[in-house]
Amino acid sequence: MLKIEKLSVSYGSLRALTGVDLEVGGDGVFHGVIGPNGAGKSTLLDAICGRRRPTSGIVRYRDEDITRRSVTWRRRHGMARSFQRTSIFQDLTIREQLELVAQHLGDDRLDDVVEVMDLGAYLNQRAGRIAYGVQRRVDVALALIGRPRLLLMDEPGAGLSAAETLRLFQHVRDLVRERGIAAIVVEHDVDAVFACCSTVTVLDLGRHLATGTPEAIRADHRVIAAYLGTAA
Amino acid sequence: MTGDLQRTATGAPGGQLSRISLVLSGGAIALVAGALVPTYLAGDFVLRLGSEGLLLGMLALSVAFMMNQAGLVALGAASIYGGAGYLFAIGMSDGGLTPAVALCVGFLVIVAYAAVLGALIVRTNPLAFMMLTLAAGEMISHAVLLEGLRDYTGGADGLVVRMNGSILGIDVAEFADPARFWSLAWIVTVLVGLAFWSLGRSRLGAILRAVRENEERMRFSGFNTFVPRLVAYVLVNAVAAIAGFLHVLNAGFVSPESLGLSVSTNALVAALMGGIAGSLGPILGGLIFSFAQDEFGARGLTQLLTGVAIVLFIVVFPRGVVGGVSSALRRFGSRREMS
Repeated sequence: MLKIEKLSVSYGSLRALTGVDLEVGGDGVFHGVIGPNGAGKSTLLDAICGRRRPTSGIVRYRDEDITRRSVTWRRRHGMARSFQRTSIFQDLTIREQLELVAQHLGDDRLDDVVEVMDLGAYLNQRAGRIAYGVQRRVDVALALIGRPRLLLMDEPGAGLSAAETLRLFQHVRDLVRERGIAAIVVEHDVDAVFACCSTVTVLDLGRHLATGTPEAIRADHRVIAAYLGTAA
Repeated sequence: MTGDLQRTATGAPGGQLSRISLVLSGGAIALVAGALVPTYLAGDFVLRLGSEGLLLGMLALSVAFMMNQAGLVALGAASIYGGAGYLFAIGMSDGGLTPAVALCVGFLVIVAYAAVLGALIVRTNPLAFMMLTLAAGEMISHAVLLEGLRDYTGGADGLVVRMNGSILGIDVAEFADPARFWSLAWIVTVLVGLAFWSLGRSRLGAILRAVRENEERMRFSGFNTFVPRLVAYVLVNAVAAIAGFLHVLNAGFVSPESLGLSVSTNALVAALMGGIAGSLGPILGGLIFSFAQDEFGARGLTQLLTGVAIVLFIVVFPRGVVGGVSSALRRFGSRREMS
């Protein structure tokens, strides 16, 4: 589904990512990306979705080099993302914004998204007036419209309690399995990542540190030293 | 599924339909009554002021649509309004074209100009957009004063237009008559108002408002955010051009003042006065501004009027006359329901 080769991203003189390689398969893969602050997790998602152009390296999506493709092209070809800071339309009702995107992407199964993200009770409310946790779900719902093949989620649990984050992760994990799609999630809450993700990648200071199953990552001495510490 | 969701959202489709037919019926009645009744009731002077108000209202409508739907403030409306007038006048006077052909040529030139300028500026942020429209407008207003173009533009003296020929079977010289011109200006203004009202409720309007609110999310939802804004920019400039053509038809004259920044700011103030949220507000704002300007202008207080109006309508009545009145009516209605 996705293959990243020697990906580097710089912000001026600061190197946010250095030569990162990553491969994410399809069909129900829920891939977590963790690491300390400044590890380059969000930058990695930005480079994958086209928000940030890499300094060097290649992003391959379904065997095609999409490094120079626009955000709009990627979305139309099945790559969707949600944001760390909730990015929804505050002045529109939940229904208006979901329908606007659904009509554009030709998705006639919007009810599925509403049901999966449990938004039925909020459809006629303006997004700016609903609770933050529901806004986070709207953000994910906007990404789910159009039946994406690869879902990118940046800190979906930001601002949510541990229980809410875990519930959201479980929702997404079930969805990924049901639809046979792939998802990459960047998250600080390692417990939620270890509980729900099938594969985990650890970044540290812009470099790839390790990739493996949650059990393997928990036991990896480099990850313990750099990020998890003895608490893991 | 989307359709099901839509239907449950808006209730019975009949409700929406009846509202639309009500608005269309009201518009048709207003169109006929407004075109005829004032010509029997008002004198020439009032009709002239009213016609100027309608043209300013149309210009204000173009400014307000861009503000409300796209979040972009244009300060160069006058350059399109006056520029269209110059093209029309030059086409008839120097080009020897019939009024209809001069109008079509002028319209196509304005649309092409708006498309090229729009392609350059609609991607920018709102502040840059405002400054760029101002800069483009100022360049055009100075271009007509160039000595090399004096034979065509008349320089600072402006251009008197030879009004020969007809449009749609009506002799263009007849539009110098205040009553005749009022009817034309009214019909065009109401039609433009209805067109913008429909546009605001169309898919294009919804996309423009969503882009205004969160452009990044729109791009990440697969939308092209450039084309809708470009289309809107061309449309509002087409309306400003129509107002410019009408001005020349009525006045038989076009001058550098019609391209000036003061015309652009008057349109902006008229839009703020009436309220930018719909079509009625800017048109009403144009009429109010025109009559108020006449009253204050006679005492040399036009600038004071403009300044006071800007402060008053931004600070005290940010939704303009129409927005303020409709809010008051809603409050009154809800109080009556409670009691």
